Amino acid sequence: MAGMLDKLLSLDRRWIFLLVLLCVGTPIVLPIGLPVTTTGSTRAAFDYIESLKPGDYVWVSFDYGPSSAPENDPMAEAFLRQCFAKKIRVIVCAFYPLGSLGLATNSLAKVTAEYPNLRYGEDYVNLGYKDGAAAVMRRLGEDIAEGFPADVNGTPLAQLPIMKGLRSIRQVQLVCSVATGVIGEYWITQVHSQIGTPIIIGPTAVAAPKYYAYLNAGQLVGMLGGMKGAAEYEKLLAARYPDMARFYQSTRGFTATKGMDGQTVIHAVIILFILLGNVAYISRRAAQKKGA
Amino acid sequence: MRTGVLSRASARVPSFAAPLTASLLVLLFRSALAVAPEVSPAAPGDLPAPTSFTAGDRPGDSGNAKPGAERYVDTTAKDGTVYRYEIRTVSAADTSSAVPAAGGTSAASGTVAAALPAGPPLVSDPVASHDNWFRTEKTNSFIASVLFLVILLASIGAAKSGKKIFIRRIAGLNAVDEAIGRATEIGKKVLYVPGSQSMDEIQTIASIAILGHVARATARYGTDLDVPNKDPLTFASAREAVRGAYLAEGRPDLYREEMVNYVTYDQFAFTAAVSARMIRERPAAIFLVGYFFAESLILAETGQSTGAIQIAGQADPTQLPFFIATCDYTLIGEELYAASAYLSREPALLGSMRAQDIAKAIVILLGITGIIAASLGATWFAGLFKTQ
Amino acid sequence: MNLEFGRLALVFLFAIIPAVGIALGINSPGLRARIPLLVAFFAGAIPIISLYVPKKFLSGPTGMSPRLDQWLIIVYAFAILLGVVNVVQNSTRKIARRESGWPFSIVLLLGLFATGGAGIYGAISHHGITSLPDGTATPFKWIQDQFFQPLQSTIFALLAFFMASAAFRAFRARNAEATILLFAGGLVMAGRVPLLEFLAVPFPPLQPAAAGASQALGKLTEWIMDTPNGAAQSGIIIGAALGAASMAIRVILGIERGYLGLGRGE
Repeated sequence: MAGMLDKLLSLDRRWIFLLVLLCVGTPIVLPIGLPVTTTGSTRAAFDYIESLKPGDYVWVSFDYGPSSAPENDPMAEAFLRQCFAKKIRVIVCAFYPLGSLGLATNSLAKVTAEYPNLRYGEDYVNLGYKDGAAAVMRRLGEDIAEGFPADVNGTPLAQLPIMKGLRSIRQVQLVCSVATGVIGEYWITQVHSQIGTPIIIGPTAVAAPKYYAYLNAGQLVGMLGGMKGAAEYEKLLAARYPDMARFYQSTRGFTATKGMDGQTVIHAVIILFILLGNVAYISRRAAQKKGA
Repeated sequence: MRTGVLSRASARVPSFAAPLTASLLVLLFRSALAVAPEVSPAAPGDLPAPTSFTAGDRPGDSGNAKPGAERYVDTTAKDGTVYRYEIRTVSAADTSSAVPAAGGTSAASGTVAAALPAGPPLVSDPVASHDNWFRTEKTNSFIASVLFLVILLASIGAAKSGKKIFIRRIAGLNAVDEAIGRATEIGKKVLYVPGSQSMDEIQTIASIAILGHVARATARYGTDLDVPNKDPLTFASAREAVRGAYLAEGRPDLYREEMVNYVTYDQFAFTAAVSARMIRERPAAIFLVGYFFAESLILAETGQSTGAIQIAGQADPTQLPFFIATCDYTLIGEELYAASAYLSREPALLGSMRAQDIAKAIVILLGITGIIAASLGATWFAGLFKTQ
Repeated sequence: MNLEFGRLALVFLFAIIPAVGIALGINSPGLRARIPLLVAFFAGAIPIISLYVPKKFLSGPTGMSPRLDQWLIIVYAFAILLGVVNVVQNSTRKIARRESGWPFSIVLLLGLFATGGAGIYGAISHHGITSLPDGTATPFKWIQDQFFQPLQSTIFALLAFFMASAAFRAFRARNAEATILLFAGGLVMAGRVPLLEFLAVPFPPLQPAAAGASQALGKLTEWIMDTPNGAAQSGIIIGAALGAASMAIRVILGIERGYLGLGRGE
């Protein structure tokens, strides 16, 4: 027994890696379809966008890269779908270099294809990427054109109908930052604290614990914590909009709800590892005490 | 469609015009009342005639305010000049005619300027813009900043005058010499990663200060040092810090330019390169100090697999759990900023540590007072801390 | 030429003073060492003052503070050049000396010149770096889509493996605090996913009970994240912010100068 425990404690990490691969990969190939329960912070975010009127402005910032796309893409796409369904005007930007080049362009193309009546420059616009997130955000409070003089195609803002009369981010009803890293925090400290614009954050699961402090302080309207938050949002959208329920059930593309299967299995495996490791550790400690 | 139009009504020759023009903000309060003002009959159509509006200087805008949905900003207003503004309901049916400018000044409003006036004007009180010297809405923040500065300077002064300042033991910093000593014993290098952020991040500056101490130790012991960088500005600064440390220790002969090297700007390419370096070169001591993101666990876990002694440090709580799980020692939160003072024992730096603790005590006290005030329904107390 | 006060002041503070200082400091290392401290003082003090003083020359659209932000981007561009030169130097040296792993340096240089060249081509041809007039991807975007994105995602995905191995090795009930952490971590991991429903999949009669228990566990998880976690995060954030403010003041006042390679403060 002691030998087995010692073996377990000194298990080659490559065995763990192999098990992780199987546990994440299998549910992707063979989906389980586990249910998702919603939490307060996600419901608050959903309800806030629901309370907006057609014609209002929502600013969606793609502050993440391809690395966290499986977590963040479903959030960004869910925000876009809800805004377009409610005829809310959407301004897209990115403070992460690859956020604009790949992700924002791809997500916008994907979601706008579902709403053929939308017109670029009137119902939505992609302002592209800008370096120096905090500095640019400070300028947005005074004049959006100072931060983003032109859209991603190089069209000056003055020539875009959606920007007519929209000078400052003060006039925007909500900012949704889908973020990895520190940029989500900049939206809170540079825009909400200085200007007052309401903020919703969609961070990766690893960054989510930090944002609870801001959520509790009332500096965030709502939060979608990682893939779980995105899956909750998809569920809320499906419950509110029958078209989206059909879409999320039938799509062959990746959704957060599908991703939750793999996440559940891997959580179970990690909990099992922790239990095994502790059983072995406690048994060995007890044996050592006995020996002493 | 009916809408409102605003025009500048009259101007008095200024007795003084400041060269720096602060913008003039005119707030248009759309009345919900259906009753028309006594001075004019109700405007025809679906939009009632305006009943009141106010004109005033918007403080603290540096002269760069822009119009909003329900406000008009006259960016051409001159400081010290007294203006009157008028507002009236117009019809947009005839867009060919311009608004007649009262008092010889032109109307100002982009899309509705070329509209037909359909109601009598409502004229504001005289108003003048003026240059401001202080953002009054930030008074609380200013008081807090000045208070903190005073506490800091007083604490530094006290420390310099010989007052003994106690700093609790920080295990991670005590282990710095131990880690470098071990690397020296087994003849392997010390790897120091100063995070992935630039020099505008204060954690990076703290990390570079610690790097200076580490480099002094490697110079003293003659141990090899490797500092890979993700950010180019951090790279330049790290190079200066290491070169300075080797000079200060009188060992410029041991310093090599490639000790501090640039890898790539991409987060995960950097992670892959440094992880590979850890596996290939197997450093004896690894320092992961600065601002890290998702790369933290990959780097720390790879380092752990090589058997190196690892010291990590980060002020941001997001990645701390990974460092705590995988590193031998971790500087948590403000310990990172304390490192420089702790390692050098300089009175000026120790004094600033004391100031930090005093400020923290004040914050805790204010927090408790806030809880009591909120529980008693005194909402004004929370209002004292608003910055908008 | 626009001779605004803010612009002139910036040129004086960040160009003339350093240039004069360097000239005077040729024979005086002490003076030369103090010039960067002066630059750091002004670079730190101007944004802070502009936060409170709404003068156009300080915080207006072309004021000193926004201009400093722009200058940082320009300095950054030159610093990247410095980095690229360093990469080329290090890689060519490795290849020339046939140091261990030198073939990787060839791949690195090829990648650097191919991607950089594609970006420069986009700028010269005025097509940009996203798409060509016919809607197809530019060479830069193609490299990004086909190489960069999958490689980046792959490295990030390693986290799942490392997390599992770190949890197995390090998450131990060594003492009372670690045990509390272990329980809280286990509860949150279980509560953030439909774990009980998953475990009940092979046992259909247990599924309603599992769903109910999962709801309760979810609420407990939310409480842990909201209350104890939220409080701890606030504490660390406030403590770290005070530490950062103190560090910033030390740097601005020249007390902390390790980042300049100047050794201890005075």
